[in-house]
Amino acid sequence: MTAPTGDPAATGAGPVEPLDGEREPAQKPEEPSLSAGEWLGRNLFSSPVNSLLTVVFSLLVLLAVRGLLNFTFSEERTWRAVKTNMRFLFTHAYPQDQYARIWVCVGAIAVLSGLSAGLLARVGRGISMKKLSMNLMATGGVIALGIVLREPSAIVDDEGVALHRDASEAVGDSFAGWLDANAFTVLAVLVLANAALALWFHLQGTYLRGGPEPRVAHGVLVLAGVGVLIVQQYATGEVVRESFADAMSDRAWWWLAAAVLAGAGAALWSGLGDARRRNTFVPAMYVFFAGAGVMVLSAWVYPWGHYGFLEGEFINEPGRTVAMTTKLPWTVMLALLVATYELGRVLRAAGAGPRLRIPLNLLWVLTPFVLYWAVLRDPDLDWDHVLSTDLPMALFFAAFGGLVVWFLAHPRVGEAGRVMAVVLVAVAALNWVAAYFGWYPMLQKARISFLLLAVVAMLAHNFAGDRSQRMKLVAVWVATMAVFHWLVTLVNSPSTVDTPTDALIGGFGITLIVAVFTLLLAFPMGVLLALARTSKLPIFRVLSTVYIEVFRGVPLITVLFFFTLIFNLFLPDNMTLVDIAGATIGFALFSAAYLAENVRGGLQAVRRGQYEASDAVGFTTVQRTLFIVLPQALRVSIPPLVGQVIATFKETSLLAIVGIFDFLRIADKVISAQSEFLGVKREGLLFVSFVYWIFAYNMSKHSQRLEKRLGVGER
Amino acid sequence: MSNTDQATLAATQSHRPPFYRDVTVVKWLAQVFTLLLVVFALFFLTTQALENLDRQGIEIKYDFLGIGLGSDLREGIDTDPDTAGRALWAGAVNTIRIAAGGIVAATILGVLIGVGRLSSNWIVSRMCSVFVETMRNIPLLVQIVFIWALVATLPDVELDQGPINGILHLSNKGVSVPRVHIDDGFYQWLVFIGIGWLVGSLVKRRQERRHDATGHDTYPVLSFLAVLAVFGAVGWVAHPIFGWVGAIFDFIGDGFSSLTPVVVQVVLSLAALAAAAWWIRRFLARHRTPAGLMKLTDDDKFRIIFAGVGALAVIGFVLVVWPGLSSWIINSGTDLLGVIADKFGDGRTGRPIDIKRPDVEQLGNFPNPGPGGLNLTQGGAAVFFGVVLYTASFIAEIVRGGILAVPKGQTEAAQAVGLRRVTMLRRVILPQAFRVILPPLGNQYLNLTKNTSLAIAVGYSDFVQVGQIVYNQTGKTLEVISLWMLFYLACSLTISVVVNFFNIRMKIVER
Repeated sequence: MTAPTGDPAATGAGPVEPLDGEREPAQKPEEPSLSAGEWLGRNLFSSPVNSLLTVVFSLLVLLAVRGLLNFTFSEERTWRAVKTNMRFLFTHAYPQDQYARIWVCVGAIAVLSGLSAGLLARVGRGISMKKLSMNLMATGGVIALGIVLREPSAIVDDEGVALHRDASEAVGDSFAGWLDANAFTVLAVLVLANAALALWFHLQGTYLRGGPEPRVAHGVLVLAGVGVLIVQQYATGEVVRESFADAMSDRAWWWLAAAVLAGAGAALWSGLGDARRRNTFVPAMYVFFAGAGVMVLSAWVYPWGHYGFLEGEFINEPGRTVAMTTKLPWTVMLALLVATYELGRVLRAAGAGPRLRIPLNLLWVLTPFVLYWAVLRDPDLDWDHVLSTDLPMALFFAAFGGLVVWFLAHPRVGEAGRVMAVVLVAVAALNWVAAYFGWYPMLQKARISFLLLAVVAMLAHNFAGDRSQRMKLVAVWVATMAVFHWLVTLVNSPSTVDTPTDALIGGFGITLIVAVFTLLLAFPMGVLLALARTSKLPIFRVLSTVYIEVFRGVPLITVLFFFTLIFNLFLPDNMTLVDIAGATIGFALFSAAYLAENVRGGLQAVRRGQYEASDAVGFTTVQRTLFIVLPQALRVSIPPLVGQVIATFKETSLLAIVGIFDFLRIADKVISAQSEFLGVKREGLLFVSFVYWIFAYNMSKHSQRLEKRLGVGER
Repeated sequence: MSNTDQATLAATQSHRPPFYRDVTVVKWLAQVFTLLLVVFALFFLTTQALENLDRQGIEIKYDFLGIGLGSDLREGIDTDPDTAGRALWAGAVNTIRIAAGGIVAATILGVLIGVGRLSSNWIVSRMCSVFVETMRNIPLLVQIVFIWALVATLPDVELDQGPINGILHLSNKGVSVPRVHIDDGFYQWLVFIGIGWLVGSLVKRRQERRHDATGHDTYPVLSFLAVLAVFGAVGWVAHPIFGWVGAIFDFIGDGFSSLTPVVVQVVLSLAALAAAAWWIRRFLARHRTPAGLMKLTDDDKFRIIFAGVGALAVIGFVLVVWPGLSSWIINSGTDLLGVIADKFGDGRTGRPIDIKRPDVEQLGNFPNPGPGGLNLTQGGAAVFFGVVLYTASFIAEIVRGGILAVPKGQTEAAQAVGLRRVTMLRRVILPQAFRVILPPLGNQYLNLTKNTSLAIAVGYSDFVQVGQIVYNQTGKTLEVISLWMLFYLACSLTISVVVNFFNIRMKIVER
C-alpha cells in the first residue's frame, strides 16, 4: 500500500460539486492522512495496555472469522438446500406459471424506488474517492485473508461425501500436527511474550517516544499468531483434506475477486495522486448501482450453479450459470431502477420535484394494496355484478359525497352546514344500529362509505376555502371513493391464483406484506392513540393509556396467539378471519401502542407557544392538530418511528410460531423436512439471518443519517 | 371602557352559544360517546364469544388448573407436575429464572461492550460495534432458533464431559455449570448478616462524622464492609446459635391465624379508604396557593372522582365480589409464616451456602446430565443466550449514549480539580451517565422478560410453552391466554415499579 504523507492542500479547495444547490452542513476540514505506521502506532499500539488489548482481540477476531468461514465452507454444509429452495424461501407455494406477477411487483417497486431516489432523496456529498478506494482495497484484503485463513477443503468422492481415513492413520507427527495439538498453548505463549514485550517497552519509555519498535515487534508476534491459526489446519485429521497448493488453486475465483477489488482500489488510489481528485465525491447511489451491477453480471458469468425444482423434479447442475428465469428478471429490474433514477434526476433538474412529491408518496401508499389485491391475487371480477352494483354505488357516493363536500367546505356555510353534518352522522350511525338489529340489509361497503362521508362532513369546515381549495377537496373525495370501492370489489372477488396453502404467498413475500400492512394500519392508530394520551380530556386519556400500557406489558406472541387461535370465537357466526389477517391485526394493534409512545415523544416536544399561537389565530382544535402540531411532532419523531419500522420488520419472524409459512419457518421447518435435505437447518437459518440483517442494517443506517440531518436533539 | 365595548361584552356573556356548540357539552358528549362505543364493542365481542362457546358446550372456568396434566415438562422445579396449575407454576418459575439470569448477564455484557465501543483501541471499538450491529439487526427469534441448531452440533453427552469436566459441560443436551445454592443454615446466617448490617451502618455513620469533623481519611464505606465481613465470617461457623429466631415467627403466625375474616375485610376496606383520602388530600394540597385553592379543571375533578370510585371499587371487591379473599389471605399468610418459621427454625447446622458441581449420570443406555449442576437444556440455552446477546447489543448502545451524554466540561472540570481517573468515573461521570441510562435500561429489562416467551419456538418449558401444553390438553385456550397476559402484565408492572423507584432516587440526588 502506498501511503501518502498527508495532503493538507486538499481541504475545501477542491471543486466539490454541490448537487442541485443542496448543501450539507459545513463539515470539519479533513484531517491530514497518517502514514500506515503512524496510524498503527496511534490507534493500536499507543500504550502497553493498548498493545496487549490489540494482540488479544485481534487473535479473538481471527478465531471468530476463521470459525465462521470454516462453518460456512465446511464440507458438512449443504448449501444446495438453500439454492434449491430459493423460490420457496421467497414466495413459498406461489405457482410458478404465475411468476410473472411477482416480477411485476418487484418491477413496480423498483420503478417507484428509482423515481423517489432520483426525485426526492437528498443527495449528500456521497462517498469520497479516497474512502471508496480504501474500502475497495480493504475488502480485497479481507477476502485474501479469508482465503488463506480457511481450512483446506475436504476431498470428496463422486457423491459429494468427504473421504475419511482410518483413525489410526490420523495421528500425524508433522510440524502441523504438533501445532494442532498444542495450538492454544502456543497462542498463550505468544500472548505472554507480547505482555513481556509491552512491559519492556514501557520500562524503556518507547511508547512515550512514539518510536516504531513496539508496532513492529507486536505486529510480528500477531503475524506469528495468524501463522499458527493457518498452519494448524493442515494437520492430518480423520477427514482427508487438500494440500496447501491445491487449496489455494481451488480458490482461484476468490483470488480473482480479491485481486480485482484490491486492484480497482489501488488503481483509483494511485490515479488520485493529485490531492484534489482524491476529495472528489461519487454519489452513493452510483456506488450502489455499480455493486448491484457486478452482482447481476456475475449471474451471467460465474457458474453459481443451476438448482431448483420444477414439478417435483430436482434440478442439480453445479457447473452452469444461474437459471435464465432468475438472471433475466434481475437484470431488467436493475435496468429499470437505474433508468427511473436517471429519469428522476432529469425531472428534478427540470424543477418537477416539489410538484411530484405528493403524487409519488400517494403512489407509495397505494402500491401495497394494488400489488397485493390486483396483481398478486389476480381477482376474477364478476362483471355483471360490477356493472349492476359496484360501479353505480361508487358513482353515487362519489357524486353525492362530492356535492356534500362542496357545500360544506364553503366558508360561509353556517348553521345549515352543521345541521347537515349532524344528519349525515345520524344516518351513518343508524346504518350500523340497523345492522346490529337486522332491520334492513345493506352492503357493508355502503355502510363504511356513509361513515366516511359522515366523518368528512364533520371535518369539512376545518378545510374551508376558496373555489380552488373546494375543488381540490372534492377531487380528493372522489379519488378516495374510487380507490376504496375498487379495492373492496377486488377483495370481494375470488382469486384465480391457485395455491395449495390458504395464504396466497409465503416466505419473504409474506414477511414483507405483513410488515407493510401492519405499519399502514398501525400508523394512523398510533397517532390517534398518542393524541388521545396527551389530550386534556380524561376519558380519552384513560382509555388510550390503558390500551398502550396493556399492549406494551404483554409479549407479542400472546397477542398473536389470541388473534390466530381464538379471535374467531369473538366474531359473529358468518364472519371468520384467516390466520394471516388475524396475525396482521395482532401485529398492528401491538405496534400501534409502541408507535403511539414514539409519537407522544414528538408531541411533547412541540412548544406551548405553538398551541397558544394557533389558538390566537383562531384555529379550531382539528386545524391546530393537523396543521400546526402534528407536522412538527412527526418530524421530531421520525428517527424513533424508523426504529419502530425496523422492530416491526424483525417481529414478523414471529409468524413462524403461529404456523404461517413465513421466511423463518421455511428455513427452519420446511427445508429440513424435505426428503432430499433431511435435517438441513443451519444453512437456511444463516441465509435468513443474512437477509434480515441486510434490510434491518440499511434501514438503521438510513435512520441514523436522517437523525443527523434533522438535527434532533441538537436544537 | 366605552359603552359599546361594555355592550359587546355583555352580549357575549349573556349570549351563550347553542348547546351543540358549547365546548364543554361537545367535549363531554364526544368522550361519553367514545366510551359507550368502546364498551359496546367489548360487550358485543364478549356476548358473541359466550354465545359461540355455549354452542360448542364450553364454559369459561378455571377449574382445569386443578386437573392432572398428562405430560412431563423438560425442566424446572417440577418436571412431573400433578396438576395443570402446578405445571404453569413451574413454567412461571422457569420464565422468571431465565429472565432474572438474562437481565444480569445482559447488563454485564452490555456495559462491557458499550464501554468497549468508546475504547481508543481501534480493534476493540470496531469489534464491539460489529457485535452490536450484527446482533440488533437480526430478529431475536432467528437467533434463538439458530443457537438451538448450533447446540445440536455439540458432542454427545459422555461420562467424562468437556470442555472442563466438573465445571463447564457443553453437549447437545445443553449447558451445565456449577450451582451455587442456599444450604441448611442460610437463614440463621442471614440474621448475622442483618446484625452486621446494623452495626456496620452505625460504624459508617461514626466514621463519616469523624471525617466531617477532622477532615482525616476515615474510609466509612470500607469500615462498613469490614464489619459486615467480620459478622459474615463469624456467622459462617456460629450461625446455629440463632436457632430460636424461628420461634418468633411461629408466635406471629399463631397471632395471624387467630384473626377472623371480618377483621381482615374491615382492615382492607379502611386501608382503601385511607389511601384514597390521603391521595385526595395530597392532590388538593398541591393545588393550594397562598391565595386559596386553584380552579380545578375537569381533569382534576375527574382524578379526584376516580380516586374515590377506585376506593369504593376495592371495598366492593373485598366485601362482595370475592368475600373469600380475606380467609385466603389469612390461610396463605399463616402458611407463609409457618414456612419462614421452619426455615429459621432450630437444628439447622449445615453450611449457609454451598456449591454443587455438574455431573453426568448413566441410568439407562445413555449418559445424561445429572442433577448436580445448574443445567440449561438445549432449548433453555438457546433462549438464554439468544435474549442475552440480543439485549446486550441494545444495552451497549444505551450505555454508550449515556456516557457520551455527559458534557465534556464535566470531565475537564474533574481533571482540573485533580481527581484521579477512577474517582472521576465513580463520582462524576457514572452518576450523571446513569441518570440518562436508567429509563431506557428499564425498558430493555421489560423487553427481555417479554422476549423469553419466544422459548415456545424451541421447546423450553417457560410459562407460554407450558400454557400451550395445557390448552392443547384441556382446550381452555381463552383461559390460558388470559393467564399469560396477567402474568406478563404482573412481571412488567414489577419491573417498572423497581426501575421507577431507582429513577426517583436518582432524581432526588439531582436537586
